[in-house]
Amino acid sequence: MKRSKRIEALDQRAVNKDGFIDEWPEMGFIAMKSPYDPKPSITVENGVITELDGKKRADFDFLDQFIADYTIRTDRAVESMAIPSLTIARKIVDIETPRSEILRIISGITPAKMAEVINELNVVEMMMGMQKMRARRVPGNQAHITNLKDDPVQIAADAAEGALRGFSEEETTTGVARYAPFNAIALLIGSQVGRRGVLTQCAVEEAVELELGIRGLTTYAETLSVYGTEKVFVDGDDTPYSKTFLNSAYASRGLKVRFSSGSGSEVLMGSTERKSLLYLECRCLYVTKGAGSQGIQNGSVSCIGVTAGVPAGIREVIGENLVAALLGLECASSNDQSFSHSDMRRTARTMLQFMPGTDFIFSGYAAEPNYDNMFAGSNFDAEDFDDYNVLQRDMQVDGGLRPVTEEEVIRVRREAGKAVQAVFKYLGLTEVTDEQVEAVTYAHGSHDTLTRDVASDLMAADDLMKRGITGVDVVRALAESGYEELAENILSMLKQRVIGDYMHTAAILDDQFQVMSGVNTPNDYLGPGTGYRVDGKRWEEIKAIPHRINVNDF
Amino acid sequence: MEVNEQLIQAITRAVVEQLRRNGVQPPYGQNAQKPSEPGVNTLAGKTRMRPKHSYEGAQKAPQGTDPKEIVIGVGAAFQTEIRSTITGIPLEEVIRNVKAGIEEEGMTSRVVKVLDTSDVGFMALKSAKLSGSGIGIGIQSKGTTVIHQKDLYPLTNLELFPQAPLMTLETYRRIGRNAARYAKGEMVTPIESVNDPTVRAKYQVKAALMHIIETEQLDPDKGMIPWEDGDKR
Repeated sequence: MKRSKRIEALDQRAVNKDGFIDEWPEMGFIAMKSPYDPKPSITVENGVITELDGKKRADFDFLDQFIADYTIRTDRAVESMAIPSLTIARKIVDIETPRSEILRIISGITPAKMAEVINELNVVEMMMGMQKMRARRVPGNQAHITNLKDDPVQIAADAAEGALRGFSEEETTTGVARYAPFNAIALLIGSQVGRRGVLTQCAVEEAVELELGIRGLTTYAETLSVYGTEKVFVDGDDTPYSKTFLNSAYASRGLKVRFSSGSGSEVLMGSTERKSLLYLECRCLYVTKGAGSQGIQNGSVSCIGVTAGVPAGIREVIGENLVAALLGLECASSNDQSFSHSDMRRTARTMLQFMPGTDFIFSGYAAEPNYDNMFAGSNFDAEDFDDYNVLQRDMQVDGGLRPVTEEEVIRVRREAGKAVQAVFKYLGLTEVTDEQVEAVTYAHGSHDTLTRDVASDLMAADDLMKRGITGVDVVRALAESGYEELAENILSMLKQRVIGDYMHTAAILDDQFQVMSGVNTPNDYLGPGTGYRVDGKRWEEIKAIPHRINVNDF
Repeated sequence: MEVNEQLIQAITRAVVEQLRRNGVQPPYGQNAQKPSEPGVNTLAGKTRMRPKHSYEGAQKAPQGTDPKEIVIGVGAAFQTEIRSTITGIPLEEVIRNVKAGIEEEGMTSRVVKVLDTSDVGFMALKSAKLSGSGIGIGIQSKGTTVIHQKDLYPLTNLELFPQAPLMTLETYRRIGRNAARYAKGEMVTPIESVNDPTVRAKYQVKAALMHIIETEQLDPDKGMIPWEDGDKR
């Protein structure tokens, strides 16, 4: 066939490098509604759910049983299930119906009913729903802080810059697993240099992550993964009950925790039971709620390549974010994984969470160049900071970030590097040289930094764990190395777990370590003239992007 | 210049090949779906990717005792339903390089096929437990690889290579070398991380399909079976 030059040009477009696939319900490649999804139903006898979504109690798998026993409010189920799904969907969008009434209705419906409700909504209606149902009044944002070399100095510097730019939470992970304690300590220090009150976590294997949390080297946790089918749960060596136990382990030490789910994992693990992405994600979120977690990271997350590959996949993503909010969970709404070669497509996908606002629009945003993002690339990275600031300014939307000056960036990066250098010296860890700090201060990413001795670092990291080093040791190291104020900030973060208020739904801390959560600052949106509006000091901050024409010098 | 049918076909092939090298998905008529009537773009009703391979008569791989031995556990579809990794590296070359890396360090290797799980972490851990040295390597047919040690938690490991599309034969050889060094109790510098944020967009759907092919070949009753001459099957 003689080829059309138009079609040839289109074939070369970035979007055509993405992976797309037809719907295939037998293997779970179906976004919103599979012909094999169950029909909603419930029977409650003597306060016990004896039948759920077409299945008798004797036939329940462990997800069904967990959801029936711990998630659905049996005292509300009959009343809520009697309301037509379309009516519930309309109430979600209706500005006359307050969030509290929606939460009450939703607490009595089943996962299949939830999927049916979501299927009634188009994406604009879902965004309307999210605007009202988000737990916290003011939206927030979370950063990823990682690099290819697991360089602790760069982690501290990027954490400081990220905190300065407005992120309320910062998450790290490792390239080499044994680096975890170094990354956690560097993130803890750097974050408090940039802005007091930023929460930090280190996403690694669950037992290690818990230990880092208990020692006070992190201030929250996120990587408690749940899945939508029993088979995938078992493959992960887990059950809803073991996850609940892990959740309680964190709670016992006063640490903020959220669970992690997202559609597509069951497809990638090859066990979907022929159900839709949305229905399986509903089950994940019901398990999360039943486990007593305050929140969830969801929105397909690391399996977005699958969800985005099927028709209506991106509609499903905002749909599952909305399900989390409807259940009263804090929603950290993904946007944290690269899924498209097309700048147009990746931006469009993020607008669905950016415009209505979620508790954390990204979970997280790569605060380093994507080549350094050890979560295999986020949807936005450090090179998009100015684009993002302009989007906030264009639409007068609070996306959780703010413009910064080059002087401030250099100052906090250097201070964070110096503080890590001092702590490593005090604790007898591997040396951090002045040259390393200097290189990191001015670096964009790990291509611009010096190489560290990996084998020595790993030995020192192992040794640190063996010696039982805790967050208090980090505070002492800082205080005795001349960093009293920073030591005080980290001590204030450790005190949060004694106070406990930041375990409430959707909690973040301001720079005075005061909690802002869905409990003390709940979302009160009820249509035009209500809820959070971008104005005053915050609007002035958003307006002040660096590259403006200076009329006085023109 | 005479333009004939053969020449046109040859040029078309060359253009398509160039497009593929540039990472563009195939255009119409080159394995891609054509647009069609509403409700037609579905694979509904299809229940599997490949027919089930029979492992009738296969014996379980024995427990290793030689402290120099490293077990390489390959995926259920390895060299049977799937013959090359997600980027097209032939699987016999993958195995040859891992083994060569192990031999360079003076250790020995044994290849088994893991038929009870397609999860690479568990494949590697099972291989480590079977191995005389306590060190094992799990390799999925799409190329994802883990180095594991018998006494670690399943979801932790010595080294993990999660992005199959970034693997090269040199990486596989270095994995063999490092696994051998762990077995010798040396202080090992892990292979440096590589990262490509475009991988998920390009390969995740293909990865899901390859994992389906692998998972549908599982035969849990057979467990792990010897797979020394896999390339001859």
